[in-house]
Amino acid sequence: MTDSTESPDLSRQGGLTRLKEGTYGGLFAACAVITLLTTVAIFVTLLSDAVVFFRATPIAEFLTGINWSPNPAGGGQAFGLVPLLIGTLVVTITAAFISIPVGTLTAIYLSEYATPNARSILKPLLEILAGVPTVVYGYFALVYITPALKATLFPEMSTFNALSASIMVGIMTIPMVSSISEDAMSAVPDELRQAGYGLGATKFEVSTGIVVPASISGIASSYILAVSRAIGETMIVVVAMGAQARMPAIREAAFGIPFINPADVLLESGMTITVAMVQITGGDLTGGTLPYNSMFALGLTLFVVTLVMNVISDIIAERYREEY
Amino acid sequence: MATDNANADGFGEVSRVRGIVFEYLSLGASVFGLVALGVLLVYVSIDAFDLANASPVWLLTYFLTLVVPFLAFCLYSANDPAVTRRALGVLGGGLVAVAAVFTAIETLLVPIPRLNWQLAYLFVVGAPVTAYLTYVGSGERVGAVGFGFLGRLLGGAALGLAVGTLFLVFDSLVWFLAYTLGVVPAVALYAFGSARSVPQAQTAALPAGLLGVVAAVFLRGVVPTYPSDLLIYLWTIAIPVAAAGAFAVAERRGRTAAAVVAGVPLALAAAGGFAAAGAGLPAPTVLLVLVLTGVPTAVYVSRVVDAGEGLVGFALPVLLVGGVVAGALIVEALGVPAPDPWLDPSFLTEAPSQTPTEAGLYPAIVGSVIIIAMVAVLSFALGVGTSVFLEEYTPGSGPLGTLTRIIQVNVANLAAVPSVVYGLLGLGLFANLLGLGIGTAVTAALTLSLLILPITIISAQEAIRSVPDDLRRGSDAMGATRWQTTKNVVLPEAMPGILTGTILALGRAIGETAPLIMIGAATTVFRAPDSLFSRFSAMPMQIYVWAGFPQADFRYGVVAAGVITLLIILVGMNGTAILLRNRAERGN
Repeated sequence: MTDSTESPDLSRQGGLTRLKEGTYGGLFAACAVITLLTTVAIFVTLLSDAVVFFRATPIAEFLTGINWSPNPAGGGQAFGLVPLLIGTLVVTITAAFISIPVGTLTAIYLSEYATPNARSILKPLLEILAGVPTVVYGYFALVYITPALKATLFPEMSTFNALSASIMVGIMTIPMVSSISEDAMSAVPDELRQAGYGLGATKFEVSTGIVVPASISGIASSYILAVSRAIGETMIVVVAMGAQARMPAIREAAFGIPFINPADVLLESGMTITVAMVQITGGDLTGGTLPYNSMFALGLTLFVVTLVMNVISDIIAERYREEY
Repeated sequence: MATDNANADGFGEVSRVRGIVFEYLSLGASVFGLVALGVLLVYVSIDAFDLANASPVWLLTYFLTLVVPFLAFCLYSANDPAVTRRALGVLGGGLVAVAAVFTAIETLLVPIPRLNWQLAYLFVVGAPVTAYLTYVGSGERVGAVGFGFLGRLLGGAALGLAVGTLFLVFDSLVWFLAYTLGVVPAVALYAFGSARSVPQAQTAALPAGLLGVVAAVFLRGVVPTYPSDLLIYLWTIAIPVAAAGAFAVAERRGRTAAAVVAGVPLALAAAGGFAAAGAGLPAPTVLLVLVLTGVPTAVYVSRVVDAGEGLVGFALPVLLVGGVVAGALIVEALGVPAPDPWLDPSFLTEAPSQTPTEAGLYPAIVGSVIIIAMVAVLSFALGVGTSVFLEEYTPGSGPLGTLTRIIQVNVANLAAVPSVVYGLLGLGLFANLLGLGIGTAVTAALTLSLLILPITIISAQEAIRSVPDDLRRGSDAMGATRWQTTKNVVLPEAMPGILTGTILALGRAIGETAPLIMIGAATTVFRAPDSLFSRFSAMPMQIYVWAGFPQADFRYGVVAAGVITLLIILVGMNGTAILLRNRAERGN
């Protein structure tokens, strides 16, 4: 330690410097606050118009109504969410039948079987699936998938149908399942695998019996994220699924047990929540009308559902994560 | 496999069948989506280019004049006998295999629509081999020079067209004043400050520039006469670009070479601009394309010539152009019927129409370019600002730390909000409440900026986080303030990563359709937008509208051409992003 009588100025109290530091810090903080404001703005925008809508249409009626016709030709305006929910569920579940098994197997292959070289090629290629614009997927479904299915498997299929839209949504969400699941599987420590081999397990047994259970929280959260993405998907269903809000016909099997024939739903056109919103934009957009407000009520429903699913996915990934 | 040791005495034998089946099943699953997408892309390109009507002779001609020389170039560049053997083996064996399999399927099972075995061969064998050889060839010196040269020519032309497009909406006179009064003095002050070590001059540069820009906006209505557009672009864009090129060369070669490298393309571009004005072409765009192609190319050529390696690579563009010309001549001479592609130059330069053969994408392309330019600026600024704040400015604990965590969770949640909800935000907030107008370019740009902001922030954060802490501590130790550390150390290091993430996010924005529908973007616009507040269309929007037309010519022709255009632009953007990242990784 030297004994200096004149201590250097370490306090950085220079006026201009302080002003400059403060200005830049403030600018960056302002940018960060904009992201918070975006969330607030989404909430307020959706809520303010949705409240007006719910004043005219009670929430209970909105949630349980089985008829959706916001712009009827001859009166009889009705805002029932159930047919839209059914359409959304059909697409989401059918898409999950593709994305979940394919995505999980892909993740297992990438994490357990693939050579580093193959992985470095496959991973970016898979991301392409999520990068193709969704309107292009919708076009593919309408123009190529539907005619192909019609020519081979389902001759009675209608031009706009839920099945080909769902197939495309499923393919689009594969990378969502595979990349998050693969991250979770790669995080499983090698000791667990080696212990499995030490006990005489085969590679198949180690993959399915050790790695998958050990990373199950990450896998589950990837499923939820993929499903939430499928729920919010718009362009594929708008282009390929048509726009007819309908309740599926309930048939009667033997002994009068009611059932719904999946073909009635999958091979016909339908309407999801997102399609309903897009359809209303064809009309008046300056605001003030009931259909305009109903769009925001639908948006609020969608926003809340996807938000809740994301939060659940976060909680699962955090709480049930195995700590190593 | 884990069961290899199962045969020793005293151990039970384990069946390997289950494991092998599972491995191949999961491999199949990994490529399932890719194969599906690949098949769809094959069909959409066949439709867009009308390849179903291409006769085998036509295909063979272009294969021989265009594809074979290109492959030969790549093989020459790779200069590896093993690669050559492998490529020739796959090309030859694939020909036999594809022909046999295709014929077998057609005769035994089902006829395959709109595909013949020659086309199948081109897509299944030709395209992957070409991609592989391009990858291998571009890794060596000759190929790197060839593709670098070609990339600068194409990229410069695309950039010139895009900048020219922007001036359809942005007032070039305001830009002229802002450049003259704001940018030039600011740059001069800053350069003076650095050269003479006068920090005050450097600090004053930014306020002086802002003052000049504000003055420009006020003076726009006051100043009565302006130079012509061509002179404005020459002064505000061509000369600075040439100066930057000269600067890059001067450091290495000295002033004479710099003057030649920058001066020749500038003179050529100016001459081209005036000639175009005389010929009635859009002179400013010609000038921009020429100068943005010429200067980077000239700088690149001078660098390669200095290095003296791989000069043969410059033959690549000649090879390609020559191949196209030769192919056209041979086809003409043989009288082979040529296909009539939907995706041709007139598709890109004409307005939409009810008649399929006359329909074009021009106004939609202009709309997309304008929106993406605004989104790029907005989301880059906001994304970098937010990520710098989150990574550099906030402590991990205390009330500010809590705020950081809230913002972090919030960004993650915003990334998962469906795009259609952002559309509602744009409609309710920007279009109606703030009165920016339904379906205007401004509303669309703001909406899409917010939409991709979370992706930009997350990738920028990753880039900033990957800057080693030692660099920050080193800067701190020299007495730098936080902003100085950020500006001089963190941002330059992280910039390639940030740019890569931003370009990838922009790729997402360019394909988004649902928000545009929600904010009421026009379904069909016949003229390119002329102001930020005019109604506009965008490429994905136009594709959506056309896909709804029932005529087969639209479904299988016009839309396919639009889809291919959109995908080519996307591939170009993402390719640029990946090149940036690779170059940064190599630099480290």
